[in-house]
Amino acid sequence: MMLNRTFIWIAAVATTLFSCTKDPLAGLSDPDSQVFITNRDAQANYKQYKTFSVVDSVQVIEDDYSTSDLTSLDQDMLIRIVTNMEKLGYKYVPAGSKPDIGINLARVTNTSINVVSQPVSSYWGYGGGYGYGYPSYYQYYQTSESFWSLSMLDLKNPDTVTKNLKVVWNAQIRGAGLGNEEYVDQMVDSVFGQSAYLKIN
Amino acid sequence: MKKISIIAFCLALSYVSVAQEAPKLYTLPSPFERYSHYLATVRITGAVPLGSFSSSYIDKTSFENYSISMEWVTRSAVSVGGEVGYSYFQKRLPRNTYQNGDQTISAVQTRTLTQYPVQVFANYHFLGKNSTIQPYVQLSGGVSILDYTVYYGILSDQKQKVSPTYGVGVGSKFLFRRDGSFGADVRVKYAGTSFKYDYLQNGAASLNTSVGIFYRWW
Repeated sequence: MMLNRTFIWIAAVATTLFSCTKDPLAGLSDPDSQVFITNRDAQANYKQYKTFSVVDSVQVIEDDYSTSDLTSLDQDMLIRIVTNMEKLGYKYVPAGSKPDIGINLARVTNTSINVVSQPVSSYWGYGGGYGYGYPSYYQYYQTSESFWSLSMLDLKNPDTVTKNLKVVWNAQIRGAGLGNEEYVDQMVDSVFGQSAYLKIN
Repeated sequence: MKKISIIAFCLALSYVSVAQEAPKLYTLPSPFERYSHYLATVRITGAVPLGSFSSSYIDKTSFENYSISMEWVTRSAVSVGGEVGYSYFQKRLPRNTYQNGDQTISAVQTRTLTQYPVQVFANYHFLGKNSTIQPYVQLSGGVSILDYTVYYGILSDQKQKVSPTYGVGVGSKFLFRRDGSFGADVRVKYAGTSFKYDYLQNGAASLNTSVGIFYRWW
């Protein structure tokens, strides 16, 4: 009798203790949560490029489809990219003046709905083509990740055989607060700041 | 008159003899010495990372460690039992850049290590079950359900594994009352878990100092 009661007590205490897990990201501010990832083409010789241009609208990529957009946030991003490139020694020219480098900016959103599609096994006698019918009131949960993607395209040496423009540099900005206009300057400055190899002056 | 005085005298005598018999009840050994019994302990631990765990991953002491144990105390000096625990280490580094081939990542890194050790242990006690202070040495072994997660901003690199773990410790139980059921337990233990991934190449070792409350029953 005593033993059963004590075991219940121990189980209760243990459950309480083990439910007190800490959130490792508690107190992480939006700027601190941002991750700046830059990829360089090790074969590229950046000193050969003198002029650059930027897109006049931002590519919005959501799962499988893409459109163009130009919000004030997008404009702020593009202006800051131009400032950083000029500081590195590149000359800005309009897109029609055959620039050496073209810079693309995209807002990418990957959304996945976490519901598993299962085929019905023939155990129930309904095999072959039957699927589960989820009532409309079932709750699905969506996870969605958005990030900025900057790509530097080599327009000076296009690959006419494969019809590819080489991406000589790529940057991704991930984390929270990506749509906040206050963070535009520090986000763009950071990705160029960690890419000192781009400097030609 | 004489009869009454004789009866009174006999009563007085019997009273004296009863009084003399009473102390014998207290010379019986305590049930905790006569019977093997259960002992449950709840602990809170301060853990200091050691060795390469401290130098290459997290060097910050953690106070977020708890455990509960159930011990079977026999009539010999050895007792055995099982312990289930929770341990959490965390360290946040300021923004820094990390190279990965031709890729550069700039992020605020949060390093964490969570463990749920499930172990069996054996204690060797140096004094009797009813002495107020009962020092002991402990050997433990088992597995640890381990979660290694490094966060770059809010992106994470995670590895979970069930790894072997062991411990060597020395401690003492303190009874609150003579022949009582409640007491305190203080223990210093070296704990090691084998694990190899990313920053941790030589396992995770720590020095754990714990304070607990125990309850014993039979």
